Amino acid sequence: MSETEVEWPWQYAFPPFFTLQPHPETRSKQVSAWKSLILEYCQKNKLFIIDVREAHQLPLFHNSAINRKLDPTVVVSILSELSKSGNAGALDKAKHRWEIYWHTLEEWAAMIYDHVCDNGMQNSVLTLFELSQGEDVQDKEFAGIHTDVLIKALRVLEGERKCELILSDEEQGVKFF
Amino acid sequence: MRRRAGLGAIQKHKLEQEKYKDKGNEIQENQLEQMTRQMEVFKVNLEEFATKHKNEIRKNPEFRRQFQEMCASIGVDPLSSGKGFWSVLGIGDFYYELAVQIVEVCLATNYKTGGLISLNELRTRLIKARGKGKQHQEITQDDLIRAAQKLKIFGSGFMVVPVGKGQYMVQSIPGELSMDHTAVLQQVTHSNQAFVSVGYLRRELGWEEGRAKKALDHMVDQGLAWLDLQNPSEKLYYFPSLFNACINSSN
Repeated sequence: MSETEVEWPWQYAFPPFFTLQPHPETRSKQVSAWKSLILEYCQKNKLFIIDVREAHQLPLFHNSAINRKLDPTVVVSILSELSKSGNAGALDKAKHRWEIYWHTLEEWAAMIYDHVCDNGMQNSVLTLFELSQGEDVQDKEFAGIHTDVLIKALRVLEGERKCELILSDEEQGVKFF
Repeated sequence: MRRRAGLGAIQKHKLEQEKYKDKGNEIQENQLEQMTRQMEVFKVNLEEFATKHKNEIRKNPEFRRQFQEMCASIGVDPLSSGKGFWSVLGIGDFYYELAVQIVEVCLATNYKTGGLISLNELRTRLIKARGKGKQHQEITQDDLIRAAQKLKIFGSGFMVVPVGKGQYMVQSIPGELSMDHTAVLQQVTHSNQAFVSVGYLRRELGWEEGRAKKALDHMVDQGLAWLDLQNPSEKLYYFPSLFNACINSSN
């Protein structure tokens, strides 16, 4: 994955930012700064999945310039905070692997459905590949969306009876209504 | 020759005493009257002076400081005299306005500094916020201290803390800072880094470990300091209010 230049907030250079703060008020400022930083970082780098066990390989959680790392248990607790607002979801019981939703699934769903309506593709079938990598979506926010995240977003639309997923071994597609 | 010692002599002595007393009182009264008159004249002159140089006072910081000192010497506080003549002058308004702006800057930076800001930084932000519309009034550190001190009436929420070498910090959250806490801030300010440690305070101030730890932990509890546990040798206590990247960041 290529690194996009992230505009690091001042906290990133502030060594205690990488130590969970004992004072409740300070900690809540710290956690909220981490939440926005994680979402911004993932969005800039189109990073949909974080594996906490490998978190230190990401500059996000490891500032080598000041030699500070965010402890994996702290990473998990911040991701859990993000999941409360629908901005992250654990993929396993051990909470090692996480999907990051810098747009919530509902937001992704709305964007995709807008695109479908704008192009009059209701009642047509699209492959998931077309939706995430197709030529008409290159300028869309959801271009390059991770397939698992895409499927979850489409499930939201399915719940609203706006589409139906066709998931077989050979092809993965979706029919919009 | 022996002095006469009779009733007459005693009475005469008493009379003389009374005369001296009367004369004394008279002189004292005269002096008081004269002084009062002088003060009146001075006050009138000062008022005239102030009216005449109103604009100058508002514009020129050096002038303003000297005027304040003049007022202080005769016990007039143009800031607290909201009534009558002094209110017309608008000297108080100048400082009230500053005080309000100080509160605004402090509130706007509290969330990242924990309620502590250096006077220099406060001044920079305040001047920026005032913009250029205000006829380029120059605001000095002295003006800010005077204005900030007026905020004391709101209780312990606002304090100007001298940290030595002519530098000040403004604390804008409730909670008293003791001598020890002020000493810690002095150390951080003059260490040219945004942190101190128990060891540092022991070396620099000769404090016992317990004293240093107690002071630093209190500042963590006040939200003024952040703890860094990843320094190899010892715990570090960081002050965002003195961390340059924090100070310079716009958000």
